[in-house]
Amino acid sequence: MTVPFPAQAFPGRILPVTLPAGAGGAAVTVGGQNALPLLPEGDHPNGAAVGMEVRTDACELPPSLARACGGRADDPVSFARFCARECGARFLFLSLSGCHPDGGGRSVSEGADIVRRVLSAVPHPVIVGGSGDESVDAQLFPAVAEAAPRPVFLSYADEKNYRLLAGAALAYGHGVVAWSPIDINMAKQVNLLLSDTGLPPERVLIDPLTGGLGYGLEYTYSIVERIRLAGLSGDAMLARPVLCHLGDAWKAREAADASEAGWGDVDVRGRRWEEATGWACLAAGADLLVCRHPENVAALGGQAWR
Amino acid sequence: MALTALDIYKVLPKTNCRECGFPTCLAFAMQLAAGKAAIDKCPPASPEAKEKLGKATAPPLPRVTVGTGDACVTLGDEVVLFRHEKTFYHPTAIAVSVSDALGDDAFRARLAAIRALSFDRVGQRLAVDLVALRYGSGDPGRYARAAAEALAQTGKPLVLAAPCEPLAAAAAAAAPSRPLLSPAPGEVEAGARLAASLGLPMIVKAAGLSGLEAALASARAAGARDLVADPGAASPSEAVAASVAIRRLAIAHRRAEMAYPTAFDLGGDFSAPFVAAAVLIPKYGSLLILDTADPADVLPLLTLRQNIFTDPQRPIQVEPGVYPIGTPTAASPVIVTTNFSLTFFTVRSDVEASKVPAHLLIADCDGMSVLTAWAAGKFSAESIAKTLAESGIGGTVAHRTLVLPGMVARLSGRIEELSRWRVLVGPQESSALPGYLRRLPPDAFAPAHG
Repeated sequence: MTVPFPAQAFPGRILPVTLPAGAGGAAVTVGGQNALPLLPEGDHPNGAAVGMEVRTDACELPPSLARACGGRADDPVSFARFCARECGARFLFLSLSGCHPDGGGRSVSEGADIVRRVLSAVPHPVIVGGSGDESVDAQLFPAVAEAAPRPVFLSYADEKNYRLLAGAALAYGHGVVAWSPIDINMAKQVNLLLSDTGLPPERVLIDPLTGGLGYGLEYTYSIVERIRLAGLSGDAMLARPVLCHLGDAWKAREAADASEAGWGDVDVRGRRWEEATGWACLAAGADLLVCRHPENVAALGGQAWR
Repeated sequence: MALTALDIYKVLPKTNCRECGFPTCLAFAMQLAAGKAAIDKCPPASPEAKEKLGKATAPPLPRVTVGTGDACVTLGDEVVLFRHEKTFYHPTAIAVSVSDALGDDAFRARLAAIRALSFDRVGQRLAVDLVALRYGSGDPGRYARAAAEALAQTGKPLVLAAPCEPLAAAAAAAAPSRPLLSPAPGEVEAGARLAASLGLPMIVKAAGLSGLEAALASARAAGARDLVADPGAASPSEAVAASVAIRRLAIAHRRAEMAYPTAFDLGGDFSAPFVAAAVLIPKYGSLLILDTADPADVLPLLTLRQNIFTDPQRPIQVEPGVYPIGTPTAASPVIVTTNFSLTFFTVRSDVEASKVPAHLLIADCDGMSVLTAWAAGKFSAESIAKTLAESGIGGTVAHRTLVLPGMVARLSGRIEELSRWRVLVGPQESSALPGYLRRLPPDAFAPAHG
């Protein structure tokens, strides 16, 4: 007697979303599936995509990560080229953290200029992250939206600033990352608010806030799983691709501390810390991962998944 | 499928005899329906009722125990497919392998390395659970001696992975420690007879779901009872598909003949064992056998297991009290927050990032985050004033200035009234603490007078 795979069918389908590329680059499309991840069931027209973060701030990376990046992380434009050409990142998450008063305090026009230069240096799809400072971002997002020579995604819109982000995105043809703090109701609410502004749903991604391994990953895991189950079950506002930014993994002492002899080589351990965070997110249903370790692009990008 | 309390009540004696320990038959029925009691607690129940209720209220995935006493590991016994539906109860057991073909010194060194895979995090001890002993020496006597030594040196229960001849030699000697037998895939029946004769649990390894169904049936026919299913996967995608299939068959389809805990041997030629382990921990693997004893591999996996098997309804809490960050002095800031572990670790890491030494004052809020605790009345001006008084922090610092989370700024006036401490309203988000602390004027924590 044969035992068939007990497939689970769902009535809904995740909306496909395309992150556009520049001339000569490959756009990234995610979503489109009608089943849970990593299983031989349903349609999965687009696999998950792994990108890398390009930072602009003066904050120091953990030494093991700085070594892995070969000291290139200081200049956003050359680091963007490294991520795209050598690491195989399918998209870039350009974080304008350097425009935060604590991150270097670059001006809004400097931030917009970095966006312009990175976009002309690589043809890859780009998500532009704000500074994280509310008053700076109020100036920064409109400036970035205007300066970007081709469509990008702006990250992120929450229940407070969604009008600003949607306005900037609508005026210049960009997409928006809808953020919520590990809260499925808020994830839905932000998507509703964005859709009320007239922003087309195929230009919206969900960022559920990713806790790093050991520091809240379990909350992210279950929220992503719940968002995905709700989306597949027919809740259109949650049937959107999910983006998980793995940067929080590097805040863990276990990822960066070289002083504990019993914890093993910090170069391996840090990479594994981010990789384990990434696999848990993929198992829960994430469609886009943003990582910091160059080797994790390939590790999480499907080469190991066979 | 599952019976309601009322369905169960209908077939109970309805005499309210209390032999089960509950005041009424209906109360007992509710416990049965919730899976919190078993029908054998009701001696007067009719044989028909016992059969019907025994089947319907049995856990969908049976439990298999390996080892004894404190080192006992429970596999299986889960009730949901998604942790947010209730919780996952029995963490994925991790075994690290050792081969009896190693020289004596190397064998001992390997056991010591396995024993050293033990870490303290968030007040819990994370450790490898079992030692998997592989047969490579070709000498059954040596294998049996290696089993005894592994047991004596590590105190961890064993997975005995060997053909039947050495397996029988080692199992007979190690039987009181309740090892898990893992015979070669071609020897399921002989292995099952051995397991049955010693009353030991056993891994049934066969290729794919259909192979497993047949092999499990033959192991049952040979008398083995406590079975663990290994679908013989060679890659992460095969392993995860099989793991999900077996758990779905058990829980969603109630296929009793396939309802077993699972085991995955990620050693030898298995491709990408770390990837498979990282996905099998959330996706239902009951036991993973790893060849790596590198803490840089094992600590992330044990931490992932700790995260996934945390009860979503009962967050991990930290002990209330005063936590020094850096090397604080009597003039360092005092920052208050709640004892939700995630809040604690986030705030601690942000204060560390500020490089400003500080005293972190943790209030007892039943493990809730700042806003949740405030809404529930657990993080109130009264409770914060009480924490200030009872923590003894007033004896540690010379000032009387408290940094309060910006989310609960509205409590500041009342805290000042109750405690006589001055309140500085901190940032809304913990992530802004580094900048906030660095910008505080130097005289903010000057000694209090009077």
